[in-house]
Amino acid sequence: MKKRRIPLLILVLAILGFSYLLAPIVIVVLAGLNSGDFLSFPPKGLSLRWVIAFLQSEKYLSSFFFSFRLALMTMVISTILGTMAALYLSRQTRIWRGVLQSFFLSPVVLPGVVVGFSIYAFFISTEFPLVRTIWGLWVGHILYSTPYVIGTVGAALAAYDLSLEEAARSLGASPVRAFFKVTLPIIAPAIQAGSVFAFIVSFGQFEVSLFLSAPNSEPLPIAMYNSLRYKFEPDAAAAGIFAICLVTAAVLLTNRLVNLRKLLHRA
Amino acid sequence: MIALTEKKSGFLNLLASRQVRRGILVAPLLIFFILFFVIPVGLMFLSSLNTPAVGTVELSSELTLKNYTRFFSRSSYLIAAGRSLLLASIVSFVSLLIAYPTAFLIARTEHPGRVTFLTLLVLIAMQLDIVIRLYGMMVILGDNGLVNQMLLGLGVISKPLPLMYNFLGVVFGLVQFALPFMILTLVGVLRGIDPSLEEAARSLGANRFRCFYRVTLPASLPGILAGTLLVFALSVSSYIVPALMGGFRVGVLPIHIFQQVMQMAQFQFGAAVGVVLFLISLTSIAVYLRVGSSARGA
Repeated sequence: MKKRRIPLLILVLAILGFSYLLAPIVIVVLAGLNSGDFLSFPPKGLSLRWVIAFLQSEKYLSSFFFSFRLALMTMVISTILGTMAALYLSRQTRIWRGVLQSFFLSPVVLPGVVVGFSIYAFFISTEFPLVRTIWGLWVGHILYSTPYVIGTVGAALAAYDLSLEEAARSLGASPVRAFFKVTLPIIAPAIQAGSVFAFIVSFGQFEVSLFLSAPNSEPLPIAMYNSLRYKFEPDAAAAGIFAICLVTAAVLLTNRLVNLRKLLHRA
Repeated sequence: MIALTEKKSGFLNLLASRQVRRGILVAPLLIFFILFFVIPVGLMFLSSLNTPAVGTVELSSELTLKNYTRFFSRSSYLIAAGRSLLLASIVSFVSLLIAYPTAFLIARTEHPGRVTFLTLLVLIAMQLDIVIRLYGMMVILGDNGLVNQMLLGLGVISKPLPLMYNFLGVVFGLVQFALPFMILTLVGVLRGIDPSLEEAARSLGANRFRCFYRVTLPASLPGILAGTLLVFALSVSSYIVPALMGGFRVGVLPIHIFQQVMQMAQFQFGAAVGVVLFLISLTSIAVYLRVGSSARGA
């Protein structure tokens, strides 16, 4: 096949696009490693001063771990419920599958403020004892994380040859045994990748948390937001560095588990 | 005794029937979604039809359109709605302009390792908490930010440009938020375009520009439409970007909802604004899903 060259103009514009996308992230890393009292350009020098300040700060460290715990809790439930739902969806007719998939996707694309507010009002008016607890946040985050598990596991199941499971069945394996011995090992990487996605989605969730979190136990995004409204604290940027590392590691890990390029581009 | 076993085995057969067994797989999630998503949103719709009562969340059976007449008769709310729509339209357009060449590069890169690398960069940006990305944007665009410091230092301007805490700042922030979604949607469609189409156009004598304009661009139209609608829905719904980049000076619908509910305890009116925003978002998402499925050839 003839190699198609990429026009120079496109290349320049694409580099600008990537710069726009990545510049803020680079800036946060620089701000967190900056040795001055605030970020200046060019930076005064690099130091771990703010990273250490973050590791000693009650506010950011506790919200970092709060987010981490919440994301783990969310991940467990989202992975189980999402995988089960994906298994169901993979064996339905296309129309019914489309309808249900869109339904499960809707919390992700509909306004987070509206979803957060309605869950909050629902908890208060029904006296559901979850208002302003980690459990209430947990409920909200599961709504957001599960669609990612369904999507990732669903893609693996779409590529999976059902005749393998049928072969196991015809050789006398019970449906449960055929699933655990044949299907599950094949889709296991996708389940793991989906659970990593669920983790990071919960870790970065903002708008639902805004309505459901309690003043003294806030997830990291809420704590950062509350400080950003008034000033730029370099130790918030240091907290950001840890979050950036976490997300980068998670994305690299999912890429090892499933081929993200193929998953996203369907090609 | 025999009848009992028969009945039992009948029940077991039912349990063992494929459709029911599979239904058990989806039931927990379905119940969860109905309980914590459908019912709460439904109650919000109901409560938007209740008489406004400050501090009261409980539903009453009397229905009224008071909240909606208030929304549609006050210019401040209508302006906020208009501003939300304008903002989302501008952001969709700007994101498209920036994302198209970027997506084009990813779609046309042939080296698999490089494609993966570029895709991962987009994914990392997308998955990273938006508050952290906005922190970076604020450091870049603030009055003492990097852009202004550099321009002042070069003597291009004499006082800082207002790049933040205004409408423009919200546009910058929302584009940052929306860009990965637009890029990934476009890459999917651009990858799907049959290369032989372009080769045919080129071999028939079309130059590069003409080939792009007459072949590639029309073929990527479904992706453009899908990405634009998705970005529109995401930006019209965003609270955090207008809050931080607009410094609460750019009143859009999500900000009004939060203020009505959490600061003024006006649950019923807040619910009405929520319903308006919900319907705007739902409409663009519904069209997006239709366009998206036809783009995939379904």
